[in-house]
Amino acid sequence: MITGREKVCVQGMGKYGTFHAIRMKKYGTNIVCGVSKGRHDKYENIPILNSVEEAVSKYNADTSIVFVPAIYAKGAILESIDAGIEKIIVITEHIPQYDMLYLCHVARKKGARIIGPNCPGLILPGVSKIGIMPEGAFVPGNIAVISKSGTLMYEVSNYLSLYSTGIKVAIGLGGDPISGTSIAEAFDWLIDNKVAKVRIIGELGGNEEIEGIKHALNMGYSGEIKVFLAGRMAPKGKRMGHAGAIVRGYIGSVDYKENELRKLGVAVAKTIPELI
Amino acid sequence: MKLHEFVGKSILRTYGIPVPKSFFVREGETVEKKILPCVLKSQVLVGSRMKNGGVLFANTDKEFDLHLRTLLERKIRGETPYGVLVEEKISVKHEHYISLVLDRDEKDLVLIYSCDGGVNVESSQNFIKAKFDDVLNEIDPNMANIATTLKRIALEKDVTLLEINPLGESESGEFVALDAVFHLDDSALYRQPWAKKFLKKNPHSFHYLKLDGDIGVIGCGAGIVMATMDTVEHFGGKPADFLDLGGGASEATTLAALKTLKNDGIRKIVMNIFGGITKCDETAKAIVNFKRENPDYDLYVRITGTNEEEAKRILKENHISFYDDMYSVIKDAVVGDVR
Repeated sequence: MITGREKVCVQGMGKYGTFHAIRMKKYGTNIVCGVSKGRHDKYENIPILNSVEEAVSKYNADTSIVFVPAIYAKGAILESIDAGIEKIIVITEHIPQYDMLYLCHVARKKGARIIGPNCPGLILPGVSKIGIMPEGAFVPGNIAVISKSGTLMYEVSNYLSLYSTGIKVAIGLGGDPISGTSIAEAFDWLIDNKVAKVRIIGELGGNEEIEGIKHALNMGYSGEIKVFLAGRMAPKGKRMGHAGAIVRGYIGSVDYKENELRKLGVAVAKTIPELI
Repeated sequence: MKLHEFVGKSILRTYGIPVPKSFFVREGETVEKKILPCVLKSQVLVGSRMKNGGVLFANTDKEFDLHLRTLLERKIRGETPYGVLVEEKISVKHEHYISLVLDRDEKDLVLIYSCDGGVNVESSQNFIKAKFDDVLNEIDPNMANIATTLKRIALEKDVTLLEINPLGESESGEFVALDAVFHLDDSALYRQPWAKKFLKKNPHSFHYLKLDGDIGVIGCGAGIVMATMDTVEHFGGKPADFLDLGGGASEATTLAALKTLKNDGIRKIVMNIFGGITKCDETAKAIVNFKRENPDYDLYVRITGTNEEEAKRILKENHISFYDDMYSVIKDAVVGDVR
């Protein structure tokens, strides 16, 4: 999911995209260029091109991080898929769900991976980050963090950095109902990369945490899994910020998920310190 | 956002799905031509409308006037009705259930169908539920036609949940939609301008929900705000709200958030700020401003992240204490302050 060897282009070099392009580059990420419509210039030694196709032909970009506003995001992501980008990390929030449904279908057909939308991205602490997370919260170590929530990923990683054995990799999947990469798919990568400790940060709504962990156990994953779920106190039928964070009955509630995970023999922490 | 039944039904009608003959009345409007006998339905978005007296039947002129007045004035589970939908009374021989959901677990459009519609649906053993394209051939061709039309509506109007229950079937085998539940994707409203007039304007740039407890909660990021509420409960307290400032909240937004809680009678507030995009010094300035005007309100502030040092300097200068850790700050707020 992240190797540190990616050749990254930044789609959407507005104020926000530019700020993070520079921050990522400083951290050690190989930012090869930015892409913004109608641009052909440079900013702090980052060349800015007019299309992803150019980014691929000139700089061999294989990964894209998307900051393009929601109403243009579908076009931008399609452009990346068409240009042959393998991995597309979508930071943009509020992308219409049917746009994401379509993009996920196209990406699957063309063999591209979408991570997000509405996610903080990926970090390999000490090596590279393709995302917007505050680096200070991620001290290099041996724990993998997979999160549906951005700020909770920072909070938990910071805690594990301060009081436990640090972070090997953190993967922010985003909390939208239709997202490119699931917890199960993130686990596949952790299994291939032999990561022995995993912390899953989930929240109310859906059953992705359960399906993801079931998948990992079926694949013979024998590492240590601990889970933290936000939204125990959330009232039913109310959307809690994230478009996906809503529960109408018992299924999808934190209590439900906790019971299902207990049946699988997986520990659910009531507090973040219990994740140590 | 949820759509009112009369809006959903007018969409169904446009796409050729039969709905009862009807008209819509708002407070202050006069009715020139009544339909009798008829069903009068309060246009509210809360559930259990029938059980809470939101649906009445009229056979006579007198009943019509009385029921219309009642429904226009009656709040249903606390919600003031948008208006009243008046429909011809239709008798059907059978009721079906059909819905389409953009499902987060399947990551696809899911079709749910049962031949036991209406009030029986919850106990039905005859549910078909699967990805739309996988299941379309398994249902009756007439029903499949309706499902295909519903899919077109869902895609064209950005409807993430579309439920018709009951879908009536007449003696002659014709279908008619007797109710309509539509949920629209909030993120897609920019391309559904017709829906905007039904949108309740959010007066704030933050996401706020009032709850029953007494400990106010403010944070940046839905996940961390939910975790903060859970932690309040973990220490034996009850959260008074959910307030997510979002990323990058300015001093003004943060101050508006604090004032919102104050106006809702919340006197003790936990601010759990882990600044990523949010600049902590902006937050600190808002806290100082709020405290200056409201010295007797208890603020429990946890502040770390971007521009943390500057934020702490500002707070210290104004004699406002703060924490580095979310568990200590919440514990002190709930169990008692030992500072």
